[in-house]
Amino acid sequence: MLERLVAAGADPLAHRPSDRPSLGYVCSYVPEEVILAAGFHPVRLGARPGPTGPADSLLQTFACSFARALLDGLLSGRAAGLSGVVFAYTCDSLRAAMEAWKVRAPAGSFIHFLNLPARLEGPGVDTYAASEVQRLADALAGVKGGRQVTAERLAEATRLVADLRRSLGRLDRVRSSRPDLLPGSVFIAVARGAQALERSEAARLLAALADEFEAAAARPSQPAGRPRLLVSGGYLETEQPLRLIEESGADIVADDLCLGWRRIAFAEDDEPNSLAELAARYLRRVPCAAKHPPDPRFDFVVRLADEHQVAGGVFLLQKFCDPHAFDYPALRDRLEATGRPTLLLEVEQGSVASGQARTRLEAFVERLRAGGGSS
Amino acid sequence: MTQPERPLATDLRLAADRDLKGLILKHYLGAYRAKRPFSRRPVAWVTSGAPVEILLALGILPIYPENYGALVGSRKAAVPYCESAEQAGYSQDLCSYARTNIGSMLTGRGELAGRPLPRPDLLVAAKNICDVVVKWWEVTARHFDCPLFILDTPFAADGLTPDQVAYVRGQLEELVVVASKAVRRPAPPPAAFERDLLKVLDLTRQATGLWQEIQTLRQASPTPASALDMFTNLFPIVTLRGTQACVDYYRQVRDELAERVRRGVGAVPGERFRLLWDNIAIWYDFDLVRYLHARGAAFVGETYTDAWGIYQFSPEDEKDPLGAMARQYSLILLNIGLGTRKERLFNMLRAQRADGAVFHSCRSCKTYSLGQYELARAVRDELGLPVLVLEADMTDSRAYAAGPAMTRIDAFLELLTSKA
Repeated sequence: MLERLVAAGADPLAHRPSDRPSLGYVCSYVPEEVILAAGFHPVRLGARPGPTGPADSLLQTFACSFARALLDGLLSGRAAGLSGVVFAYTCDSLRAAMEAWKVRAPAGSFIHFLNLPARLEGPGVDTYAASEVQRLADALAGVKGGRQVTAERLAEATRLVADLRRSLGRLDRVRSSRPDLLPGSVFIAVARGAQALERSEAARLLAALADEFEAAAARPSQPAGRPRLLVSGGYLETEQPLRLIEESGADIVADDLCLGWRRIAFAEDDEPNSLAELAARYLRRVPCAAKHPPDPRFDFVVRLADEHQVAGGVFLLQKFCDPHAFDYPALRDRLEATGRPTLLLEVEQGSVASGQARTRLEAFVERLRAGGGSS
Repeated sequence: MTQPERPLATDLRLAADRDLKGLILKHYLGAYRAKRPFSRRPVAWVTSGAPVEILLALGILPIYPENYGALVGSRKAAVPYCESAEQAGYSQDLCSYARTNIGSMLTGRGELAGRPLPRPDLLVAAKNICDVVVKWWEVTARHFDCPLFILDTPFAADGLTPDQVAYVRGQLEELVVVASKAVRRPAPPPAAFERDLLKVLDLTRQATGLWQEIQTLRQASPTPASALDMFTNLFPIVTLRGTQACVDYYRQVRDELAERVRRGVGAVPGERFRLLWDNIAIWYDFDLVRYLHARGAAFVGETYTDAWGIYQFSPEDEKDPLGAMARQYSLILLNIGLGTRKERLFNMLRAQRADGAVFHSCRSCKTYSLGQYELARAVRDELGLPVLVLEADMTDSRAYAAGPAMTRIDAFLELLTSKA
């Protein structure tokens, strides 16, 4: 179960179902529910780790490294076999990656830009977001293999996605209570797999996995005495940064990551009955740094730190990610004001440069072990 | 930054420049005066794409931190401010206008007689130029504990949908209420507000009309104004748009340039090549432009300066001024798709009869710069014009190496010569 989910996350395109068309999407604000209801298998497109190739002739090196790597993957044929790609308005770098793909994609490729608001509140935000989600549903109905998003299909899709989130929520609690059983890096790999595998299968596997881990977690254990950490950042192409933290002697028990809890933790548990309600649900989720206002995310991170009793936080800043880089000093100060030291690591091309980062991490973990509060 | 020795051209300055200095001084002095005790003029910090006409109609004085960033950059003074921001945790990869302003804000130091910008009563950022300003203004709002309004203008890749226009228009209505509240005034009666707004929009229309006339005059050979004139003379259209002073100033510039055209006076003596500039100026190295001038290369257009000519409010718009503003402020250069940008660029190259294009790949300004490689390729391959891509930054000189830039400029000039 675990292996299959992790393998799917590592290579989503190899795990597509054969009985229906697959559709790629970028950004956790694209509602998977709509893609499912329109008859497609949704594949969250990540980025190839490692140096970029063809994208370098289209985007400068100061574009966010995730956007460059994403475009590089598309240019290298990752979209082949997909019915198209749905982008969402996130930030200027991803917008540029979408624009570049529009120019370079094979003729006839389906590319949709879900032009979501950057504001999450204010007059007209809900109506506008709903109109954009409706526009996505209409566009998908026109793609080969697509179908109309009816109320029944939407209800079925939202139930399935809610199931997935519930199971991930159960696993999140195991990660927090028994990181020795379910390390944070594995939790994120599983969450990545849940965005790649055929969703009914993913839901079955996740529920069974949650049963298994909960049963194991119920057995008594010796506390490992490792510092409990929270990680915060954007999209991670690989779990390497997380493994590096764990190898340095700390446990990741909570996250504010694009692939992780920020995406999974929705404000309400009930299921939306319409596209408009679904759109509103996405506006009320824990926001990404690219959304305004930033305070709900800041509050969320501090709440997470309290709930999971973390000793400190590690910021994984995607190189050239403006929204997270602007938020970092304020969020760092908020966390440190609660007596929790923090560490900043830069992620580029899917990983942190391990040599220096390992030394800094080990020193940080030592400090936490010694009970060091904020300096 | 080490400056290689390079023979430069002497600027043929416009007579109007003398008045420009007075305008700049008056603007900033006015802002400091507004912050004196018992002053009744509130100050708003706004982005360059903010719907400033609404604030002016409400009697609020707009101040432009981006312009302040350019001012600090042109004095070659940005680096210490950037470093102060970096010490506070703001990455060196972030926009240098933002770092310059944040550094000034955090240290309480500045380049206006040693002072930072006057404290804001209200902050207004429009996302139409980039997502960076939203985050930058959030930082500012936290620092000053000041009301913040974000105008969210969805990306207008291939034009605008009615839903987008309605969304932006609704926010403009909201701005009237939010701004009035922030400056502790009752929201004005709708009819009175609309009357005042139309007056301001008319002043904007007159100024942008003159600005367009100025750009058109540059089609002449030799061109009467090059990039330095235009970068310098950008100040009123950015910061005084919607005021009579702005209209009066550009009338003077327009007349002076028309006279130069009539007399056949060029901004660059011995004009041999006509170039177009893409992106923000490199404020700390105008010598780079002078170097080109010295070799007979004049700039006949800049996408950056041209962008300020788009606010063309017509009498038709009087029926729904906020709707017209919603459209205009959504369709500015940095909020449109690459295809439309290319079309505008090609039109400009043709209209100004350019022989080549210089693309400033500006590390700080992702919205402007990302996509330039594709645009440069299109200019070269589809129009057959030589292009030069310069990697630099608008204010942070640490991101710029003058030596390699000059080598590339020389190669570009050789290419232009071979094609002449």
